[in-house]
Amino acid sequence: MKVTLVSRSGREVVRGGIELSDSATVKDLQEAIHAKTKKYYPSRQRLTLPTKAGVSGKPVALSPKSKVSDYCEKGNSDNLTVVFKDLGPQVLYSTLFFFEYLGPLVIYPLFYYLPLYKYFGYDDTNRTIHPVQTYAMYYWCLHYSKRILETFFIHRFSHATSPLSNVFRNCLYYWTFGAYIAYYVNHPLYTPVSETQWKIGFAFGLLCQVSNLHCHIILRNLRSPSGNGGYQIPKGFLFNIVTCANYTTEIYQWLGFNIATQTVAGYVFLVVATAIMTNWAMGKHRRLRKLFDGKDGRPKYPRRWVILPPFF
Amino acid sequence: MASFFSTVKRIYLAIYNWAVFTGWIQVLIFAIKALNESGPAAVYDAVEKPLQLAQTAAILEIIHGLIGLVRSPVSATLPQIGSRLFVTWGILHSFPETRTHILVSSLVISWSLTEIIRYSFFGMKEALGFTPSWLLWLRYSTFLLLYPTGITSEVGLIYIALPYIKASDKFCFRMPNKWNFSFDYYFASLAVLGIYVPGSPHMYTYMLGQRKKALSKLKAA
Repeated sequence: MKVTLVSRSGREVVRGGIELSDSATVKDLQEAIHAKTKKYYPSRQRLTLPTKAGVSGKPVALSPKSKVSDYCEKGNSDNLTVVFKDLGPQVLYSTLFFFEYLGPLVIYPLFYYLPLYKYFGYDDTNRTIHPVQTYAMYYWCLHYSKRILETFFIHRFSHATSPLSNVFRNCLYYWTFGAYIAYYVNHPLYTPVSETQWKIGFAFGLLCQVSNLHCHIILRNLRSPSGNGGYQIPKGFLFNIVTCANYTTEIYQWLGFNIATQTVAGYVFLVVATAIMTNWAMGKHRRLRKLFDGKDGRPKYPRRWVILPPFF
Repeated sequence: MASFFSTVKRIYLAIYNWAVFTGWIQVLIFAIKALNESGPAAVYDAVEKPLQLAQTAAILEIIHGLIGLVRSPVSATLPQIGSRLFVTWGILHSFPETRTHILVSSLVISWSLTEIIRYSFFGMKEALGFTPSWLLWLRYSTFLLLYPTGITSEVGLIYIALPYIKASDKFCFRMPNKWNFSFDYYFASLAVLGIYVPGSPHMYTYMLGQRKKALSKLKAA
């Protein structure tokens, strides 16, 4: 069969099209495109069916595991037109996460251990370090080490790769906020809260971190290792009452850190992170409710909090 | 009902645009008059009141974008208005030592020329339903020169204000305090200067894109 590959503006991407056997999979098509174009490796390719005039909605994306002939129209199994979009240079998700999290992990202890404040105009020589500042550093480093370990050993990603530009954007976010918070918590003029308050804060935060790890393990077990992502109804533990229990525990974990360390910088970060995660959670909740609508033998998605009981 | 609202909206926007237009005409006239009679050092005092009024009124434009009254994306209007307000109030008003600098003249002339064209462009659109093609051309071409001159003036004035900002405690909030918060206006100003580095090409290329769209529509018409 012959596949005609066009760009979204209608230009032919591979002149003359691509010849494939009738039983070829989309993965075979991707590899053929890569061979012909050299620079478009498979994870950079977004392949969709052309949209029909007057039909709304997102274009149908070709799934790598499916056969190319599955997408052909009835009676026309020798020819298929596929729309190609270049997603730009890609990196593995694990690469992206590793660099995002490495920044805060390294930057925060710099503010704790090194006499950096003299460059900001403060006398760094005879400072006393409060116990809470030490525990905060341990807590923070534990958190980001956990995230890195989860990236390599626990998470199963719905997509293998992410655009390279996200590395710069995400690192900017994490590294800037990391430095911003580290600056204030380790400051020579830092004012600690009462011992009771920071003990409660860290204890609560640790409890939420452990819960968060448990949530990640549950999510991992929803996806099979060879699968291409896909969605199941999350069950068990906090997922019985909240769709995005992993985000919930993450948010409350930062709340614990802030209760213990009490900085405006930390609370600003909490608000921004909550906004971002709430956005994701709404999308996920909507997707799951749409997918599991109770029709055609599919289970119906149960009524649950989206992300932050008891508010939302 | 819908057409009543759209008429009200049109009248409101027409009044808004022409009112701010007159503000900027005043700024330009007073600036040129001061330059002729006294020289660059006198420009600020001559334009201060209409400048502050016209520039601050632009805050309404962010609200217009947010509530959907106009189509301009907040991502393009916010940095522009933000930088204008920072320079008008945060630099010129707060640090009088900067007011006699020659960059004030280039700033005020760049801003007023751009805004006179922009507000009359939108004012005509709302009031008359169309804009003459020469005005459209001006709106989407003068920025090619006036953005660089304006941005250079803004950056320059912030830069010369830095030593005065550092020496002053204005707008600063110091530690220690129980919220472990501080705000240092000097560092904030440095950060603003930093934002100009990616911000200026972003705004310029945005306008270039708008120019292409607008002028090609003109050709097609």
